[in-house]
Amino acid sequence: EECGHISLSAPIVRLGDPVTASCIISQDCSLLDPEPQILWKLGAELQPGGRQQRLPDGTQKSTITLPHLNHSQAFLSCCLHWGSSLQVLDQAELRAGHPPATPSNLACFMNLTTNSLTCQWEPGPHTHLPTNFTLKSFRSRGNCQTQEDSIPDCVPEDGQSYCSIPRKHLLLYQNMVVQVQAENALGTSVSPQLCLDPMDVVKLEPPTLWATAPRQPGCLWPHWRPWKPSLFIHQKCQLRLRPQHEKTNWTQVATLPSSVLQHQLCGLPPDTAYALQMRCIRSPLPGHWSRWSPSLELRTAEQAPLVR
Amino acid sequence: PLDPASSLPLPQSFVLKCSEQVRKIQAEGSVLQEKLCATYQLCHPEELALLGHSLGIPQAPLSSCSSQALQLTGCLNQLQSGLFLYQGLLQALAGISPELSPTVDTLQLDVANFATTVWQQMEDLEVAPAVQPTQGTMPAFTSAFQRRAGGVLVASHLHRFLELVYRVLRHLAEP
Repeated sequence: EECGHISLSAPIVRLGDPVTASCIISQDCSLLDPEPQILWKLGAELQPGGRQQRLPDGTQKSTITLPHLNHSQAFLSCCLHWGSSLQVLDQAELRAGHPPATPSNLACFMNLTTNSLTCQWEPGPHTHLPTNFTLKSFRSRGNCQTQEDSIPDCVPEDGQSYCSIPRKHLLLYQNMVVQVQAENALGTSVSPQLCLDPMDVVKLEPPTLWATAPRQPGCLWPHWRPWKPSLFIHQKCQLRLRPQHEKTNWTQVATLPSSVLQHQLCGLPPDTAYALQMRCIRSPLPGHWSRWSPSLELRTAEQAPLVR
Repeated sequence: PLDPASSLPLPQSFVLKCSEQVRKIQAEGSVLQEKLCATYQLCHPEELALLGHSLGIPQAPLSSCSSQALQLTGCLNQLQSGLFLYQGLLQALAGISPELSPTVDTLQLDVANFATTVWQQMEDLEVAPAVQPTQGTMPAFTSAFQRRAGGVLVASHLHRFLELVYRVLRHLAEP
């Protein structure tokens, strides 16, 4: 039989809330002193305010209420004086924290390389408690008013605020609903729902730019090739340039379908170095812009010398 | 009766999505064909016609989708049934080889998703058959070689099937 036993009103409470504990000392343990005084320690500090009583069966019981538990984690000990020392008879772990905030900024993108849908979110402030996040989703139709087949929960790795749904669970070109649930001992919260078709949130990589020698003075002749995994997607692409090594603003010079793989730029000063960049977006179907490509550095052809 | 293309209000987004799905599946089908050719020197479907015949590998009809006499409801029906057939044929190739299985799995998922896109549009237009099609008996590929040869033939038939579909979609996309 245990010497002493602590029982708690609740092992986990909100930070700052009260917690009540009681400790019962069995008769075997109060050997020398019929009315032993039960003492409480929170961490290393003695806690006054224990109310002690003798139970009908002769055991001693002390009850204490800590008005505001301000530690996210602490040990509460039930003790007795024995000789010159303070004996710890039992110990309970107290936990305090917050219920999970509503996860926010849920966003997803379809990765054409891994063929998975990755969703990320803001977890909200630290709760001081073990908190589990789960990405919940189900197939739907139209504007996501109906719930069709559910998709297995996606559980992120510890501490991560993103999760990837594998291709086999995705129904491309149909809408699905995605939502994040956060749960700990003090409660559960759920993010707003996101209604999306995985193909409408494809994450495009920028095209590859290169150039051939310009034919006329003051011209540039950039070529490009769309990102290979996205070749089946019709896209439109923006081309921009600025004089090299100058931090002036970019000038957008063309918006072209991705099927056009080159573009002649003229009317520029001869023998001048430029930096060019390109980005693409799925079009006319919905999509997101890719990042701008790395800069391609080109020089316009020199003006031919005038022969008099 | 002739069912002119315009009698069914096909949303433009449906035509655009279907076109993209065709391109996506064709791209993956080409990857499968390239791998079968590079790894097993099975590069010409016509060399496997006799085997295909003996294995009973079916091909999906698209007679209602001919540009001369387009019957859109019938065409959508044949398209959906054809995709459902190719989904089954790709499933029958399971275990083709560790290197090719991921490609076949992705291809099968994309074909299945395309079939769902078409089926749901038919439901929205209220021209869907009362009952979803059920898979007929699939060819039994009893050896590794038959699965690879079956892969070449199924990919080739699917490619041709989708070429016809793409032509119809381009016709429907014309303003």
